[in-house]
Amino acid sequence: MTALVRYQLALLARSHRWLPPLLVYAAALAVGVQPGQAVLDSLGVAAAAVLPVAAWLVRVCTGVEPPAARACLAAAGGPARAHLASLAAAFAAACALGAAGVAVVVLISDAHGSDRAADTAVPVAAATGAGLLATLTCALLGTAVGALCNRPLLRSRAWAVPATLAGAGAVLVAAGSPANAAVTGLVTGSRAAEVPLPLLPLTGAALAAAATAALAAALSARR
Amino acid sequence: MRLDAVGRRYGRRGPWVLRGVDLRVPAGGLVRVEGANGGGKSTLLRLLAGIDLPSAGRVTDRPARTAYVPERFPAALPLTALGYLTHLGRVHGLRGAEARRRAERWLERFGAGESARTPLDELSKGGSQKVAVAQALLAEPELLVLDEAWTGLDARARAELDAAVGERLAAGGAVVFVDHDPRRLADVPRAAYRVGGGRVAAGPAGGGPAVVVEAVGEPGSPVPGGLPGAPLHEELPGGGCRLTVSAAHSDALLRALLDARPGWHIRGVHPVAYPPDGDPAP
Repeated sequence: MTALVRYQLALLARSHRWLPPLLVYAAALAVGVQPGQAVLDSLGVAAAAVLPVAAWLVRVCTGVEPPAARACLAAAGGPARAHLASLAAAFAAACALGAAGVAVVVLISDAHGSDRAADTAVPVAAATGAGLLATLTCALLGTAVGALCNRPLLRSRAWAVPATLAGAGAVLVAAGSPANAAVTGLVTGSRAAEVPLPLLPLTGAALAAAATAALAAALSARR
Repeated sequence: MRLDAVGRRYGRRGPWVLRGVDLRVPAGGLVRVEGANGGGKSTLLRLLAGIDLPSAGRVTDRPARTAYVPERFPAALPLTALGYLTHLGRVHGLRGAEARRRAERWLERFGAGESARTPLDELSKGGSQKVAVAQALLAEPELLVLDEAWTGLDARARAELDAAVGERLAAGGAVVFVDHDPRRLADVPRAAYRVGGGRVAAGPAGGGPAVVVEAVGEPGSPVPGGLPGAPLHEELPGGGCRLTVSAAHSDALLRALLDARPGWHIRGVHPVAYPPDGDPAP
């Protein structure tokens, strides 16, 4: 499995197809995060932006190989494992991007709650941890959306691209979605100057990602 | 390795590409798969290589180390030939240094040593095919599946691939292949299967003489099932059929046809060399 993920990461890195998602993520941060803003608010924006980017990276990673090369890889490593490896590579890239985003946000933001009238200091280490957990939650859910909206479940580009956009949007705004809970937790925590610990959303996201990845992998050799 | 009642269709309601396939690949055995283009040969090879799972039936005892070579390998991948092969070697369970060493050796053997550092998308068609063959052979697979792998190779590389197949067989590995050249590996004893009309029939084992029997039955009566020697079967225009069977089974086949009820009329019997370039007509 390590060899498969390593191969998929090499394909992603050398294809430079990570560049457009990276630029979109950077643009989202540039628009949504200003220096001196309350740190938890900005972390909420950064985490939310990771979700569509992760789904996009899944699209990149599941489509980077021509069919002939994919067939050789499937024979060598098993089709389900090969597909899981491409999902894992996309997830790892999204996590790396999200971690960099959290670092930038923590560096330029103000370690206070959003209510500046009160004395609302926010501990930076705890805020960083909460931001990383929320980012992880969004990366997992973005990977899940990507797994559902690409090969082997949706093979036509005409459906896959709008479905990915709609899916990512829906998962971000739907009440009860782990991503929504994690991001909302950061924003409401900012108002009260209390750092949330979004473990429940993270668990939900991990389950959703595992289930969708398993489904996609199981179907990869059947359709 | 064996396939039992295996079927394959694309999508849940798609037409069956293959149905009711029973097939055996013995360890150390060579299996030739033949049939018309678009008849399901590639689908069968993908099932054998484990790239696709069957929609029905079971595949059992596939060797752990399986490798596949497609007919065309337009690998527009952002890696060098050597980089790609090293990655594939690792996927096959080799350590990085060993994978690299074998990759260099196989590229050298196929006369592509100088393109080891060439990006895959800059290789010629023949160069890409050599990389495709090398990724399969460097694993020393227990099951090697070749889908017209010789196409696009130069004469030297084709001979080298023939030799490599012999080495795999000698080492106890199984090799399944499709090739349009009827003389490909003709001197190696092998089993043959013919794919057509969604079915797979065992053909006469190769490497020896065969007999073509032309027979006519009662109008509308099908060819009896379970004929000796599992002959290749072709309907003839204007009624009747042509059965190709290995010479060892020809007497038994004739007896079975004559004894069938309703009986079959034998119109002709001709010896042929097997494989008869896909068309056994004299």
